[in-house]
Parts: sequence; C-alpha cells; structure tokens
Amino acid sequence: MSVNRLLRVGTVAVASLGVLALSACGSDPETSGSSTPSGSSSSAAGGDCPEGTLNAEGSSAQKNAIEEVISKYNEKCADVTVNYNPTGSGAGIKQFNAAQVDFGGSDSVLKTEGKDGAESEAAAAAKRCANNPAINLPMVIGPVAIAYNVDGLPKLILDGPTAAGIFQGTIKTWNAPEIAKLNPGVTLPSAQIAVFFRSDESGTTENFAKYLAAAGGGAWKGEPAKKWTGTGAGKEKSAGVAEGVKSTKNSITYVEWSYAVDNKLGVAQIDAGAGAVELTAESAGKALAAAKQSGTGNDLAMKLDYATKAAGAYPIILVTYEIACSKGLPAEKTALVKSFLSYFASTEGQASLTELNYAPLPEEIRTKVDAAIQSIS
Amino acid sequence: MTTIAANRPAMDGKALDLTGKSGSRAFKNTLATVLIGLCFLLALIPLLWILWTVISKGYSLLFDAAWWSESQRGITVRREGGGAYHAIMGTLIMALITAVIAVPIAILGAIYLVEYGKGTKLARAVSFMIDILTGVPSIVAALFIYAVWITILGFNRVGFAVSLALVLLMLPVVLRSTEEMLKLVPDELREASYALGVPKWKTILKVVIPTAFGGIVTGVMLGLARVMGETAPLLILVGYSKNINLNPFDGFQGALPTMINQDRTELSLQPAADRVWAAALTLILLVLLLNLLARLVARFSTIKSK
Repeated sequence: MSVNRLLRVGTVAVASLGVLALSACGSDPETSGSSTPSGSSSSAAGGDCPEGTLNAEGSSAQKNAIEEVISKYNEKCADVTVNYNPTGSGAGIKQFNAAQVDFGGSDSVLKTEGKDGAESEAAAAAKRCANNPAINLPMVIGPVAIAYNVDGLPKLILDGPTAAGIFQGTIKTWNAPEIAKLNPGVTLPSAQIAVFFRSDESGTTENFAKYLAAAGGGAWKGEPAKKWTGTGAGKEKSAGVAEGVKSTKNSITYVEWSYAVDNKLGVAQIDAGAGAVELTAESAGKALAAAKQSGTGNDLAMKLDYATKAAGAYPIILVTYEIACSKGLPAEKTALVKSFLSYFASTEGQASLTELNYAPLPEEIRTKVDAAIQSIS
Repeated sequence: MTTIAANRPAMDGKALDLTGKSGSRAFKNTLATVLIGLCFLLALIPLLWILWTVISKGYSLLFDAAWWSESQRGITVRREGGGAYHAIMGTLIMALITAVIAVPIAILGAIYLVEYGKGTKLARAVSFMIDILTGVPSIVAALFIYAVWITILGFNRVGFAVSLALVLLMLPVVLRSTEEMLKLVPDELREASYALGVPKWKTILKVVIPTAFGGIVTGVMLGLARVMGETAPLLILVGYSKNINLNPFDGFQGALPTMINQDRTELSLQPAADRVWAAALTLILLVLLLNLLARLVARFSTIKSK
C-alpha cells in the first residue's frame, strides 16, 4: 500500500512539475522587428549559412549592438544559434582562453606582456587556438558623450584641457573664463558645475580618463583606470549617471552616447584644435580611422590617438574588439565564426548599429576587418 | 477569593495572582500583545512590498500565451515580444536533475542516521559534515564544481554542472528535514512492527517512511524551492542563452535568475524592464506552485487511521 501511495504521489509531483512543459511546446518567436524580405538583402553576408551553435562572451559595452546584429543575422541564417553573455571584457578573454567560448568580446586588445612573468593573454590565446595566434577585430565603436544639463544652452563646446579641468574639479563654475572663451556669445550661468561619475568600475571611465590624460594638457592628474579619480558625485552604471544629470540642473557627466540620447541630454562638441566637432556616427568613426594599427597582419589591434587633430574626428570613443582564432578551431566552428563575424562586419550589419547610437566602422577599417575574417581558416 | 485579590494592593499580590488579573498585569499583557502585533506587521511590510512591486510590474506579460511558449531568440532589449519558455524549461530541467541526484542520497542518509547509525562515530561524522554543508554559501559550491568539472575534468560549462552545484545546496536541507521527520515517528510503531516479526528493513519501508511521508515530501519541495532561485551557480557554471536548449549536457542554457540578470542594466528601456519583472514574478510563482504542491502532497499522504 505504501509503495502504491509512493508511486501515486510521485506521479502527481512529476506530472505537476511537467505541466508547464507539456502544456505548451516551446518555440522561437517570429522575428517581428523588421519585415524586410530576407531574399532582397543577400549582399555581404559571407555567402552561405552553416548550421550550429556559436557561443561568445565578454564586453557589456557591445551587448546591445551584438544582440541587434544576432537578431538581424538570424533573419538570414535561421539555423545558427548565437549566444552572447555580457559578463565583461576580462571574463570574455578568460573564457576564450579557457576554450569555453568560440570568440570573445573585449574593450581592450589582448595584452602581449604577462604580469610578473606570468603567461600573457596573447600567449594563452594562441595556446587555445592550437598554437595559432588569436586576432583582435575592432567591430563596434561606442562613442562616449560628455552629457550636460544646463537651461538655455543647446550647444556647448569644450576642448581637452577644459574638459579635464571640469572633471578634475579645477574649473568650478559654468561661466569660468575657460568655458566662456570656447563659447563666445553665449550667456553661461554662474552656477556651480555638478559632476557625476561612474561609481562602479567601468571601461567607459578608463577610456574617458585616457582621453583626459592625452588631450588635457596636464590638467588631468590621475592615471587612467577603471575606477574614477576625478571630482564629483558617484552614480552606479550608465543608467545612474544619465539619470543623475537628467534630474540635476547645471550638471555634467560622461556616458555612452545612447544613454545621452535616450535621456535627451545635451551633448558637448569637442574642439581638438581643428574646430568644434559634433558627436555623430561619422565623426566617431573618423577617430578610429585616424588610429594606428598596433597589431601585425590580420591582427587589427588599434592604438587610438585621443589627442588626434584629424579634421572632423570626435576623439572620445570606446572600441570593442571580437577576439577570434586565426586558425585552429574545429572546421564547423570556424565556418560559424566566419559566417557570423563577416555579417557583423558587413555594411548591413554595421548599419544596424547606427540606430542604437553606436558608430559603424569607417569603410577603410571595415574592409580590413572583413579581409581578416575571410583569412580565418 | 476574587474579592481578596481586588482588595489587596499589588505589593504582595504574588500569591494571589493566580486567581485574577491585576491592573498592571493586564496592561503588560496588552502592551506585549500590541508590540508583538506591531513586530509582525513590520516583518510583513517588506514581504508585501516585494510582492506588490513584482506583481504590479510583472503581471501584464504573464497573460500573454507567448510568455509561456516562446523563447527570447532574436528579441533585443528595445523590442517587445518573446517569452520565458527557454528560461522556465532551463530552471525546471536543472531543478529536476538536482532532485533526482540529491533526494535519494538525502533520504537514504537520513534513514541511516535515524535508524541504523544512532550514536555511532560514522553517524556523528556524517551529521557534522551535513552541518558544515548547510553553511556553505552557494558561490563556494559553484566554484568547487567549477574546479572539479571544468578545471580538473576539462568539460565545458553546461546546465548539468549547475545541477551538481545545486545538489550540494539541496542535500543538507532535505537530509535534515527528513531526519527530523523520521525522528518524529514514535518508537512504539517500530516496536509493534518488530513484535509481529517484521524485519527491520521492511519496518522502515512499510511503517516508518509512510508515517513520515508527508513531511519528507514537504522537505523535498522546500529544498527544490530554495535551489531554484540560486543565481551564483548559474552565473559561473553555465552561459545564458536566449534560445531554447533542452539538453543540459551541451551548450549554454537559459534560466529564470540569469534571465533577470541579463537585462537588469537596461531598466530604462520599457520592453526590457517589463521582461525583468515578469521573469521575477514567474520565478516566484514557480516556487509558490512547488510549495502548494508540497502542502497538497502532505495532506493526501498522511496516514488516516490512527
């Protein structure tokens, strides 16, 4: 009798657990986003579609970009499943080197020198790729905006030293002579400048500090790091600083462009010496075009020149790289990586980033990235 | 007597208090009742607050059939649509595997502790280890499995590894509750059974376990409910996937806690925020369902004739 009861109760338990599972056979949603017929857009998407699952992990800065691209890519290649885990650049490199994912995403390139005699990231990555070098592929440009909230100031021009002064705390009021000089004919309030910074460790902070150090002309004192060393009040994450500026008059912060746009904040123009440059997808792309390639051959590691005087270039950008094996993955994974990344680097894939307030790769870089992807074998 | 109690002052009322209430004692009683009532309300506030927030922000998506039957494939944070099927299935599959591994070990362990090992050194050692295991934080369990499964054995991150870590968390909960339930079974029942010449194993199987069955099932369900909300093992031992993956031995797998985590940073975007709250509510409902199930099973499986 007890065995009977055991069985009966067990069945009830299992059945109830399975109710959800059985009641509906799960499916993938119809991609409702864009209704472009997939036949018309067979342009640069690396040709044929393989089948399988591709796992990737890394930078959270490109999360929204890569999700958008995966969504678009699936309209074309429905049999490929791409997973991306935005756990951070460091985690991305670690998991790639541990062969847990097929490619990694990182805001900084693989380091070629190890700390304290330890194996360098690049060496570990080469080992993971069966002793073939891993390559850095710049894929997503995330412009960093200097966002502000001042009544009656639709346009604000800053240069490196002034920005450094504001974020260091040496320029304290909006009508300081340094700001007034850059914005002639504009009435600036005499109010104090309220600075907001990211209280969490962030690649955005590091990149922005690098810019201030390079273009600030000595006004910036700290070493560039993921932790903020300047003045101001801390807020958590991009959403936090954007919200802070939105709700505080006469405030300023640095934040990813999309957050500045979503919150309808003013975005400062940057004058690097060749006239004021507005932040647009194009002007951000020009800054990457002006960068020097620090990797060799198909390794497209770039060295950004934050103090660039290139005409029309907006210098504060964050570049996210995809880190992939140049050789050495199993054939079916290689096909998947090539297919997906070449769609990512196609004009179509890059164009879809613009509406999310990322900047597409400038054409000359894009063709190089595409060539590097095609060379993967 | 009562008149005496009323006439005497409270000073030497000690001997007479048994007969009636003095003013000060009644006051103290009321005061304590009110205080305890207030404390109860205070404890209730965060619970109700959480429930209200999650329900009010998350209920709308749950009425959508797609929520229960579709994945998030191809849905970005700015786009509405899709569902939590992949995450619900992931959570249920991992929980089921966890239960399949942990429950037999826990119940057999408890039987050993109560029926066979009473007072032996081994039983004391097992009991001590279970106490330690109870205090192991989920992140430590996760890192331990990471070290074994990935670093030493060289496997990939998969849902099954998460289940292994959850086993470590569920085992002590179920073992302890089962042990308590078995201890509650009166020795007279066992002795009566022995007196009829029934062997020990049969006594345990036919008398002890059926008597304690309701409590054991409740313990199992509570253990399941506890591990289903765990996030640390999921973050470390399996990647999140927006796609349906029903195979816990291969590839990334979604789960409700990681689904919440995925879009946590995008709360300024409405579609993402809605999904985060709806996923949280779904998780709460699943746990609630398990608890209700435990109650039902406990009710229907108690021995009726006494």
